[in-house]
Amino acid sequence: MIQLMEETRGGWCIVGVRGRLDAESADELESALRTAIGKNAKVAANFAGVDYISSAGLRAVIQAARAAEGKEVEFTICSLTPHVKKVFDMSGLHQILHLRGELPC
Amino acid sequence: MWHNQAIPYKADFSLNGNLSELERLSAEISRFCRENSLDEEAEFQLNLVLEELFVNTMRHGGCEGAQNSTRVRLQSAADGVEVVFADRGLPFDPTSAPPANVVAPLEERHAGGLGIHLVREIMRDLQYRRSGEWNQISMKRPHGPRNL
Repeated sequence: MIQLMEETRGGWCIVGVRGRLDAESADELESALRTAIGKNAKVAANFAGVDYISSAGLRAVIQAARAAEGKEVEFTICSLTPHVKKVFDMSGLHQILHLRGELPC
Repeated sequence: MWHNQAIPYKADFSLNGNLSELERLSAEISRFCRENSLDEEAEFQLNLVLEELFVNTMRHGGCEGAQNSTRVRLQSAADGVEVVFADRGLPFDPTSAPPANVVAPLEERHAGGLGIHLVREIMRDLQYRRSGEWNQISMKRPHGPRNL
C-alpha cells in the first residue's frame, strides 16, 4: 500500500511517496509519475517515506525515467532511506538514474 | 540445573497464487524477525527475496490463482537465516538463470531478471531441486551487514 501526494514548489513538481513499493503497489506509482512527467518540466519523487521496495518498484521508476527522457523532462529521485538505497545500488540503478540525497528545493 | 531456554521460533506457511498474499507474506516475515530478534535490514531483505520468488511463480510459473501453490520455511541459525522456498509452478532453476545486465544504459533497461539478480545478491548457498511437481530452493541470508 502506498500514499501519494503531489505539490509544486520552486518550479518542481514533487511527488511524495509513502509506504511499501511492492508488486501490488508499483503500478500506482508508475502511473502517478507518468502523469506528473506528462505535465511538468521538472519532476522529483520524494522517497523519504518509502520503507520497502522490490524489483516491481524499481521497474516503475525505470519506466518513469524512460518516459521523462523521451519528453526531455528532468526527473530525479530524492531522499532514499538506507535500505532502499542499497537495493538501487545492487541493481546498478545509481549509475543511470538521478538520485539525490535531498529534495531539489 | 534447569535452563529456561526459549524454543526458537520457526516460520512455516503456505501462500495462494494471488498478489494480495504479499501482505500476509510480510506479516509472517515480520513476526519471524521479531521472535528471533533480527534487525530491520534482515526483515527488509528476506521480504524482498521472498516477494521476488513468489511473484515469479505467478508471472512465469503458472501459479496465479492456485491454492497453496507456495510454501515458505524460515529458520534462524547461528550464522544466518535458512530459507526454503517451494512452489508448484513450472520447473525453474534460479541458480542457472542468466545474469541480469546491471550496467546497461537506461534505454536498454527492461528490468527483466532484476528480481532474481537481487535474490542472488542477497542470499548465499542457493540450491535448487525439482521434486515431483515442486520447485524447491534452499538458501541462506548471512547475519550482519552484507558488504555489497
